[in-house]
Amino acid sequence: MTSLAPLTDNRVESYLSRLSTALAAVGPAERDEIVREIRVHILDSVSNATDAAAAVDRVLRLLGGPEELADRYATEHLLARAGRSFSPWLLLRTSWRWAKLGIAGTITFFVAFIGYGMALALTVAVFLKPFMPSRLGMWLGPKTLNVGVPDHPEAMRELLGHWFVPVIAVAAFAFAVGTTQALRWLISRRSSSAAHPMPAHDSGRTQI
Amino acid sequence: MYMASNSNGDRGQHWEAQIRKGSLELAILASLWHSRLYGLEILRSLSEKSQLDVAEGTLYPILSRLKAEGLLQSEWVETEAGHPRKYYWLTAPGRRRAREMAESWHTFAASLADLVQPLLGGKQR
Repeated sequence: MTSLAPLTDNRVESYLSRLSTALAAVGPAERDEIVREIRVHILDSVSNATDAAAAVDRVLRLLGGPEELADRYATEHLLARAGRSFSPWLLLRTSWRWAKLGIAGTITFFVAFIGYGMALALTVAVFLKPFMPSRLGMWLGPKTLNVGVPDHPEAMRELLGHWFVPVIAVAAFAFAVGTTQALRWLISRRSSSAAHPMPAHDSGRTQI
Repeated sequence: MYMASNSNGDRGQHWEAQIRKGSLELAILASLWHSRLYGLEILRSLSEKSQLDVAEGTLYPILSRLKAEGLLQSEWVETEAGHPRKYYWLTAPGRRRAREMAESWHTFAASLADLVQPLLGGKQR
């Protein structure tokens, strides 16, 4: 293994050890692999430099902070898994993480939040129906349509009657499936927008 | 007026960065079309051939995802440098994806080129 001067080596080792700690979200085998690859990258970037300390400065700056780098790995991993996943929890978590990176992620998160929120609310309504059979329903008022328990049922008409449970259960299921499909589509068609702005190279060209 | 022109400049740069970001996945796959490369070689190839200056902190997590998606495969190879390096290459689905992306990129660029031609006046013919 190529070796570095002790001081430079300390900085690299401390970077790698912080990276390893921050990579807790990915599995241990994957974590070791990432740390090993980044270590080799640093060595290769520094090996022919006349000023090793300056070269280490530069490569650590371009890698970004260890926690920030680990966060990018975690985001990319979630995106890769979520594009193939049917798990609402994973899709919701991924869209939340993605939302912090830009507008496409934010829209995806709102779709997830509203879609799964509706599915959950309708499911709760189905389970509560046996406990309040006459009050809970789909109520049509002069200007409103409301699934729930209205304040003034006398001014409204209940639409579903005995059909409430099957109709609302199907609607809840449709919301859950539709939201899952929409999220899978949104996540798998994303561009590489998970690339974040990075510190500039010295060339004056636009850095990504 | 200085501020106005400055913010236009920023926006122009932001737009350019967005385009480059969007093309990054294609550029990475394309750089591996002919040969197996390790991370630093991919960075250099992108910088020399396409003027894409990609920070290492951007590249490695994307390589990791492309591998997780089955588009790339990788292997540690002993080298003359005295330590092994992690080489990447395109899998069959990776080649397919790269070709599809290249085709849509090409179609899009060609149709836009006709549209923007008048804006360039006689500059580019």
